[in-house]
Amino acid sequence: MKKNIYIGEILKNEEIQNDYFLMKVALNNSFAEPQPGQFVMIRIAGLSEPFLGRPISVYSFSRGKSFCTMELLYRVVGRGTKIMAGLIKNSQVEIHGPLGTPFAIFPAKEKIVFIAGGIGVAPLSLLAHHLCKNVCYDKSQMTFYLGAQTAEAIIGLDRLKKLCYDIHIYTDDGTLGGKSLVTQAFQKDIKKYQPENTVIYACGPNGMLSVLAKMLKSKKYNCQVSLEERMACGTGACMGCAVAIRDNNGALAYKRVCSDGPVFNLQEVIWE
Amino acid sequence: MKANEFPQMAVQLGKLKLKNPVMTASGTFGYGEEYAEYVDLNRLGAIVVKGLSLKPRLGNPPPRIMETASGMLNAVGLQNIGVDAFIAEKLPYLRKYDVAVIANIYGETYAEYQKVARKLNSAKGVHALEVNVSCPNVKKGGLSFGSDPKIAAEVTRKVKEETDLPVIVKLTPNVTDIALIAAAVEKAGADAISLINTLTGMSVDIKKRAPHLKNITGGLSGPAIKPIALRMVWQVVKRVSIPVIGIGGIMNAEDALEFLILGAKAVQIGTANFINPHATLDVIDGIKNYLFDNQIKDINEIICTFKS
Repeated sequence: MKKNIYIGEILKNEEIQNDYFLMKVALNNSFAEPQPGQFVMIRIAGLSEPFLGRPISVYSFSRGKSFCTMELLYRVVGRGTKIMAGLIKNSQVEIHGPLGTPFAIFPAKEKIVFIAGGIGVAPLSLLAHHLCKNVCYDKSQMTFYLGAQTAEAIIGLDRLKKLCYDIHIYTDDGTLGGKSLVTQAFQKDIKKYQPENTVIYACGPNGMLSVLAKMLKSKKYNCQVSLEERMACGTGACMGCAVAIRDNNGALAYKRVCSDGPVFNLQEVIWE
Repeated sequence: MKANEFPQMAVQLGKLKLKNPVMTASGTFGYGEEYAEYVDLNRLGAIVVKGLSLKPRLGNPPPRIMETASGMLNAVGLQNIGVDAFIAEKLPYLRKYDVAVIANIYGETYAEYQKVARKLNSAKGVHALEVNVSCPNVKKGGLSFGSDPKIAAEVTRKVKEETDLPVIVKLTPNVTDIALIAAAVEKAGADAISLINTLTGMSVDIKKRAPHLKNITGGLSGPAIKPIALRMVWQVVKRVSIPVIGIGGIMNAEDALEFLILGAKAVQIGTANFINPHATLDVIDGIKNYLFDNQIKDINEIICTFKS
């Protein structure tokens, strides 16, 4: 059969900022190349606890001669990620993926706006890399709004600086960049972006995304968001990772974050 | 046994012949398609599809799942596409495979169970029905049908009236005496019994002082429930003479063998699929290896050999 679970070997697993970790995993070269927005389910190989895999979006991927390497950027939020954070070099992990529907790419759009909150930077960073390298976007066409509660939660900035010319940083407490919510900062600039030639990609806490949804409600922007939810299978079978959306008839329906998503159109999601 | 001789793996559950005793558990394998890229579906004993209701069901609001010690809670609430869409859109795909398809059915009333059973009876490619009288996550039907022996028996009788297919009744462990329910559905004409469905449980978020699941309670599955499942299978096997299918926390061949030795004629693999999409095939291969290593030529020689 085509799909399998891969055993990855940890090359490094470091705390880059308080509670934020960067894990680098070596995988067999037959591992399929993850598209921006896709994720993997990761478990500690051979252990029965934590029981379920943890869905983590792919931060970077590169293929070498004898193996490929994948980076996962994650925040310690609970039991599973806490145990992950304790893994040392050469530990083995089960990697299931790449999973999920990636971001849609619109090469005809002139402007790309990224809006990330905290750890939401991870999939957008991979996307920015992909757009520079494979879709030939110029740095000047891409604007990145990155926000977090505080300076310690602004991560992935070094890499972003190589990818995007125009980076705007905001923190709720003003410890780094402007003192503002990232969504408010974007709203101030919104007239710079014409809906017909702009695509917006966003990832962050649900609070941030719901504010963005309200802001863009009557506007005609193409805005894609990547969502998070607890998952069990990652393949669309268990129906555990439901998100409420409006279907084509305007009725409430539940879609699966793992397989229908994690990328959704901002306006189809029902934000409570 | 010579190295080129493979153990005979086929089992007979009444009228239903399976090429091996390993099935998927309803709700953990989608409609089969979701795992076709991982598992050669032709190798499975049977595929039990996600529970089907008369009309499509929305399911419960999220969060729907929570990890627990050696298992998980779920409160999906039987989200499904409905029996008509299953027949039109999913069955044609499953018919391409040489595998027994068991349709798990659910209703809020006797009439709904009957209508779903009737539609599936005339659908090509369904080999048996599994009647869900045990879902803990829906307000109507489900568990309430399965916790009263009289009602469980009545559902069984009503479904039997509508179908010539073998009828398996899936029991809930959330009862005082599961053998009593088993005996009642056997008397009502059930062709087989599968057990156990999930155990009702809870998990509390101490930061929010609120439930982790929007539905508050959910069904516990995974290795955590295996000892309970084994005990209940043992109790039921002693009480009924129809075939019993063991379910509950099976992660590997050793777990499956425990159920078979106790007297289950077949097993279902559920939550294990979530963390190992190949779990079903691993169990099949593991059982074969066990039989081979122990010079046992036929799987049936191991079933119901428990010495107590």
